[in-house]
Amino acid sequence: MEVAQSGEPQTESLAAEIQENIQACMQCGTCSGSCANSFAMDLTPRQVWRLVQLGEMDEIFKSKTFYLCSACYYCTLRCPRGLPLTEMMSALKRLAAARGIQRYKQSSNFYRTFMDTVKRYGRVREMEFINRYFLSMKNPFFPLGFMSVGMKLMKKGKIPLEVPKFFGEGRFDRLFAKVAELEAEQ
Amino acid sequence: MKKKIGSALVVGAGISGIRSGLDLAEQGYQVTLIDKSPNLGGVLMQLDYQFPTDHCGMCRMLPLVERDASSQFCLRKGLFHENINIMFSTELVGLEGEPGKFQVTLRQRASMVDPTRCIGCGECSRVCPVDVPDEFNAGLTNRKAIYLPIPHNIPNTYVVDTASCTLCGECEKVCPTGAIDFGKDARGRFRILVVDDELVVRDSLKEWLEDEGFRVDMAESGEEALKRVASEDYNLMLLDIKMPGMDGVEVLKRSKDIRPEMPVVMMTAYATVETAVEAMKIGALDYLMKPFDPDTLVPLIVQLYQDIERAGEHQMEVGSVILAAGFDSYDPANGKNTYGYGTLPNVVTSVEFERILSGSGLFRGKLTRPSDGKEVKKIAWFQCVGSRDQQADADFCSSACCMFAIKEALLAKEKTNGQVDTTIFYMDMRTFGKDFQRYRDRAEKDHGVRFLRNRVHSVELAGEGGELKVVYADTQGERHEDVFDLVVLAAGQRPPSTTGALADTTGIELNQWGFCQTDPFLRSRSSREGIYVSGSFSGLRDISESVIQANSASLEASRLIHSKGGGLSEESVSETTFRDVSRETPEILVAICACGEALPSAADLDLLREGIQRQGSVKSVQVIDRICTQEGWNELEQMVKEHEVNRVLIASCMPYVYGPKLKDLGQAVGLHPRLMDVVDIRTRIFPGHNGDKKEVARDMGAVIAMGLGRLRGMDPMPVPQIRVIQKALVVGGGIAGMTAALAIADHGFEVSLVEKSEHLGGNLRKLHRTIEGVSPQELLEETIARVEKHPKIQVFKKARVIHSQGRVGRFLTTIEKEDGGSEILRHGVSVLATGAREAKAQSYEYGKSEAIVTQHELEQKMADGAVDPKNLRAVAMIQCVGSREEPRNYCSRVCCATSLKNALYFKEQNPALEVYIYYRDMMTYGFLESYYTQARKAGVIFIQYDSDRKPAVAVDDGKPKISAMDPILGRELTLEADLLVLATGMEPAENNELAELFGIEINQDGFFQEAEYKWRPVDSIKEGVFLAGIAHSPRSVAESIAMGHAAAQRSLRILSSEYIAAGQIVAEVRHSICSLCEKCVSACPYGARMLDEEEGKIIVDELMCQGCGSCAAVCPNSASVLRGYRDQQVFEVIDAALEVML
Repeated sequence: MEVAQSGEPQTESLAAEIQENIQACMQCGTCSGSCANSFAMDLTPRQVWRLVQLGEMDEIFKSKTFYLCSACYYCTLRCPRGLPLTEMMSALKRLAAARGIQRYKQSSNFYRTFMDTVKRYGRVREMEFINRYFLSMKNPFFPLGFMSVGMKLMKKGKIPLEVPKFFGEGRFDRLFAKVAELEAEQ
Repeated sequence: MKKKIGSALVVGAGISGIRSGLDLAEQGYQVTLIDKSPNLGGVLMQLDYQFPTDHCGMCRMLPLVERDASSQFCLRKGLFHENINIMFSTELVGLEGEPGKFQVTLRQRASMVDPTRCIGCGECSRVCPVDVPDEFNAGLTNRKAIYLPIPHNIPNTYVVDTASCTLCGECEKVCPTGAIDFGKDARGRFRILVVDDELVVRDSLKEWLEDEGFRVDMAESGEEALKRVASEDYNLMLLDIKMPGMDGVEVLKRSKDIRPEMPVVMMTAYATVETAVEAMKIGALDYLMKPFDPDTLVPLIVQLYQDIERAGEHQMEVGSVILAAGFDSYDPANGKNTYGYGTLPNVVTSVEFERILSGSGLFRGKLTRPSDGKEVKKIAWFQCVGSRDQQADADFCSSACCMFAIKEALLAKEKTNGQVDTTIFYMDMRTFGKDFQRYRDRAEKDHGVRFLRNRVHSVELAGEGGELKVVYADTQGERHEDVFDLVVLAAGQRPPSTTGALADTTGIELNQWGFCQTDPFLRSRSSREGIYVSGSFSGLRDISESVIQANSASLEASRLIHSKGGGLSEESVSETTFRDVSRETPEILVAICACGEALPSAADLDLLREGIQRQGSVKSVQVIDRICTQEGWNELEQMVKEHEVNRVLIASCMPYVYGPKLKDLGQAVGLHPRLMDVVDIRTRIFPGHNGDKKEVARDMGAVIAMGLGRLRGMDPMPVPQIRVIQKALVVGGGIAGMTAALAIADHGFEVSLVEKSEHLGGNLRKLHRTIEGVSPQELLEETIARVEKHPKIQVFKKARVIHSQGRVGRFLTTIEKEDGGSEILRHGVSVLATGAREAKAQSYEYGKSEAIVTQHELEQKMADGAVDPKNLRAVAMIQCVGSREEPRNYCSRVCCATSLKNALYFKEQNPALEVYIYYRDMMTYGFLESYYTQARKAGVIFIQYDSDRKPAVAVDDGKPKISAMDPILGRELTLEADLLVLATGMEPAENNELAELFGIEINQDGFFQEAEYKWRPVDSIKEGVFLAGIAHSPRSVAESIAMGHAAAQRSLRILSSEYIAAGQIVAEVRHSICSLCEKCVSACPYGARMLDEEEGKIIVDELMCQGCGSCAAVCPNSASVLRGYRDQQVFEVIDAALEVML
C-alpha cells in the first residue's frame, strides 16, 4: 500500500486531533492483548492506531473495530504511554458519524434517533424511538432482524404505547438548545 | 603503601561506591566509605552471576598493584583496605564548607552488637522470637530481628534490626562473648518526664517505661512541668498537647528557652495531629498518637531512646564528596498495574528470581516454583515493568533489564540442562553494549530462548498449583493464551528512597525523575562543585558503565582535592625497616587466645600446649586472654619482644580482620607481617559443636600445626619494587584522549599526546548538535585550547607510534613525528584512545542518488546549509545499516539517538515535514527514552523491520523510494523521500597494529579488548595500558569523556608514587629445571610471563603477577613456584592436617 503522504484527512480537525493523540503510540500491543471485544474485531486496536498514525482513516472506517468498542477503559488504564485510547475510539465514532460513513449508519442513526426522543420528551419513548430508527435506516427489511427481540420486549411490556403525561413535549428542546448555544459561545 | 594528603567521602558502598573508594584509596587518599545498609556491595550482593561470563568476578576490582594494601579475597565477602574506613548503617546528614574543605556530619545507627566481639556463632539468632522478611532473599524467606545481613560476609557479624526488634533481651543473655548490649543499665540513667493532665495516662506510661528500666517522673500540668524542667535534668519529655491551663505547645516553647537541647515528644489525640505537626516545626522531635497501647508505644519510645542516646554522630573534614547512592528497584506491588505481584506467589521480580537460582538462596540453587516447591518447566519474563511506562511515571529505560533477562533465561536453561522453556516478552531488545547483540543471538539461536515483541498486561491464576495464565496479542493481531509456572518481572530502576534527604543535605539538584542532575557532557559532575556522582545515581546504567562512571567521579574528586592543595592532611607513614631474618632458622611464637573462659572450658589446654611445644621450630607457646582486646594485644607484643622470635602464629578467631593489626605489630617489633599468621580455632568450639575436651584439643592442634607448616617455609626475602617513570603517553587526540591527557596533567604529571592527523578533536569536529540541543563545539574548543596551553602536555600532531616496549611503570615508545624524525618517549603508563569512524554504507542504493546520505554526511550538509528542513517534504532514515548482523554484529549505540536528534530538529524546523524511521530495536536507553517519546509525539512514523526482512530501496528519478513490511498491518508500505539517511554505525580505526605494538588484544570486530568487561572495562590485558573512547566500543560523547576520565584514573593510581611494590605472593621460576615449554605463559591470566629469547629464560613480571598460582599448577617440572605456597610448605600443611598430633 502507498503511504498516504500529506493526504486529505489531516485537514479535518477531528481527524487531526485523533492523530495527534495517538502519535506517541509505539505499537506495544497492550491494548490488543487487553481488549475484551477483540475476538469480534477484524482489526485489532493496535492495527487501528497504526492506521491512525499513517493517516489511513478510510481503512479504519471500512472495519468494524471502532464501533465494537464498549468503552470498558481497559486499554486506557493499561497503555504504557498513557494515551486516551477509549476517548479516541469515541472520537472515531464521532468522526464516522460526521462523515456519514455507511457502515456506521446503523449505530449513528440509533444514537441520533435515541437522542431525538430524549430531547423531545426528556426520556425514551420506546415505540416512537424504534419507529423513527427503523425509518431512518431507509430499508424495509431492516426491522425484520429485530422481530424476535421486539416480540419478547413487548410481551414483557417493555415497549409501552403510552407516555406518562408529566413529561411535556417540547420542554427539553429548550434545554438542549441552551446547551448548544453555550457550547457555541465557547 | 603510598599516603597522600587529602581525603574524600564516598556515600554508598555498592559497586560504584566501592570502585570510587578503591580508586582514591589506591591513589593514596584517605577514604571514608559509608552505606545506609549494614553491609557492603549494594544490589550485587544478591546477584551471583553476571553477563557476559555468567559468573561473578567482582574481585577483579581489587588493586592489582600494591595489592597487599587491600584484602585479597572475594569482594562480596568483604573489603579491607588500609586507606578506606568503612562505616555501615551510616548516613550523611550534614555538609557545610566549600569544595576542597567540606565539613560533613555522618550519623551511624546504633548497632547494639559490638562487631569486635561478635564471633558470628549465631546463638542470638536462635533465641530471637521475631520473624520478618529477609531483604537478602528479596523477602522470599524470613529472618530474625538479630541476623546476618549477608550470609557469606567476612567477618560475619550479627546486627540488630531495631525496627523489628521487640527488645526482649533474650539474645543479650545467651551471647557467649557479651557482644550484645541493649544498654538496660544505661536506661536507669535516662530520665523521662511525662506531662499529662490525665492520671491514668501518666500512671500507665510510668509503669510501662519503668518496666523497661527508664527513670520516670510525672507532672500533671504545664506549670509543674516547667518547674521540674528548670530544676532537674531530663533526657526526654513526653508532653500532652491538650491540657487545661497552659497547653502543650506553650510548654514546649518555654521549655525550649530553659533547656533547648532537651528532646520533647508530643502526645496527641487524632484531633490535634495538626497542632503536633506545628509543634514539630518549633522544635518537637516527634509526636505519638493516642490512645496508647504498650506493645506499640514502648518500642517506639525505646527507638527514640536509641536515636537520642546511641546514634553516633561523626564530624569530619573531607576534600570532596562522591555520591554513589545507587538505585532502588521499582516495586510492582505499588504500581497501577501489579501483574499479580504480591498476591500470586509465582510472580517474582528479576532480583527475586536471582535469589531463587542462587546457591545461597531459598531453594539452594534449584529452580523451584515458590507456590508449591515443584520443578519449574516454563518461565516468562516481562520487560519494562516500571520502565518505559508513563503510567508508572517512567519515561525512561532502566538500561540494564534486557541483558539481565537474557542472562537469567540462559542461567535457567543451564540449571535445567536446557529443559526449561523460556520466553521473554519485550518491546525493544536493548542490546546496545559491547558484545550484547551476539549474546542475545546466542541465547535465541543456540539455546532456544523465545523472544516475543509484545507487551503483556496482566497475569491470572490458571491452576491450583499456582500456574499463571498470560494473554497477549501477537504482532499480527492474533490473540494467544499461554500458561507459565513462573513470571519474572523486570522491575526497573528508581532513585533511592534517601535521594530527597541527600539532595537537601548536599544542595544538589535532581532531574525530573529524581535522579541526580548532571552536566550534559560531564556526567559525574553534580550541580554543586566538589560533589560528584558515581554509578546509577547519575542515571540508569549497568555494571560496566557504573564502574566507568565511578572511575570518572573519583578522577574529578581527586583533581579537585589536588587543585585545592590537599584539603585536610592525614599523617603520612614513614617506611619501617624490618629486621633481616633471612639467615636465621625459623623460631616461632605460638599465641593461643583463651577467649575468656571459652577455650579452657571446651578444650584440654595442657594437652594442646604440650602437643604444639613438640612441633618443630616452636620456640614458645603462650596462652593469652582475649588477644582482640588492647590488653591482650599489648601482652602479645611483649611476648614477641621477650622471646626474640622471627615468626609469630596467633591462634584465635576471624583471621581476616587481623591484616591491619599484624602490620602494626610488625612495625612495633620490626618483623615483617608476612612472617606472622593467624589461624582460626574458635569455630571448633561454637555452641552446638561441643565434644570431648581432648578431641577438641586435637582438632585445634591440627589447625595450629597447619599454620606452623606454612609459616616455617615462609620466604623472608623482601618484596620487589620498581621505580615508576611518572609520565604518561596518550595516543589519539579525540575527546577521550584529550580528556585523559588533561586529567593526568592536572595532577602534575607530564603527558605526551600523539595524534595522527593535523587537528585535535577527532570525530567531535563533525558534530554540531547533541540530542539535548547543546553544541559540543564549545566544549571541543575549550578542551583543545586547554590541551595546547597546558604546561605539562606536549602535543605531537601528524605523528604515530612505531614501536613500544616495556611494562607497567616503565615504557619506552618510539614515535615518528611530522618532520619524519623519530623520538623516544619514556613513560609509566599508556592510554590508547585512537577512536573509530563512521562505517561505509554499502547497501540501500547508496551512491546512486545524492539524496541518499550517511548520518555524518547529513550532519555536514546541515551545517553547510546544503540541507534545509524547510525545503523538504519527506525524509526517511534507516537504522542498523550493516550493523547488528554478521560481520559487524554489534550495536553502535549512538545512531538511534542521532536519528531522533535529526528527526526532532526537522520537525521543529518544519512541522509539516514527514519523517519515517525504519528501525530494528530503538536503542534509546536511559533518559534517551524521553526523546523517543518526543519524536513519536511530534509525529515521526516509526516502522519496525527485522534483519531478514529489510526495507527495499529503489532510486526513481533521483529520488529514493522505500518499501518495507509494516509488521503491525502485515502489508508493504511504500513511500518516496527527498532524503534517505543511512545509520551505518561505527567501525574501529586500524587498531591491529597498535594492539600488537603494545601487546594487547583486539576483539573480533577490531575494537580494543578490555581485561574484563564488567569489572575492568578500561584496562587492557596488559597492566599499564588503558583504553578510552570509541576505540574500545561505540559510545556517546559524554560516555567517551567518562571513559577518558576512567583511563586517567587507572593511570594515576600507578603514576602517583615513585615506587610500586609487587605483592608478597608472586610466582618465580627455578630456571635450572625449567624446560621452556611455555605452558605457564599461556596459563597466566594476567599476561605476567614471557619467554626472554635472548636469555633463554621464562621471566615473571612481578608487578603484574597476582599470585594466583595457575603457572605453578600447570608446570610439569615444578619449575614454576609461588612464593608463600612452595611445594614443601603445602606438603607440610597437608601432613599436619592428616597427622594426629596429640
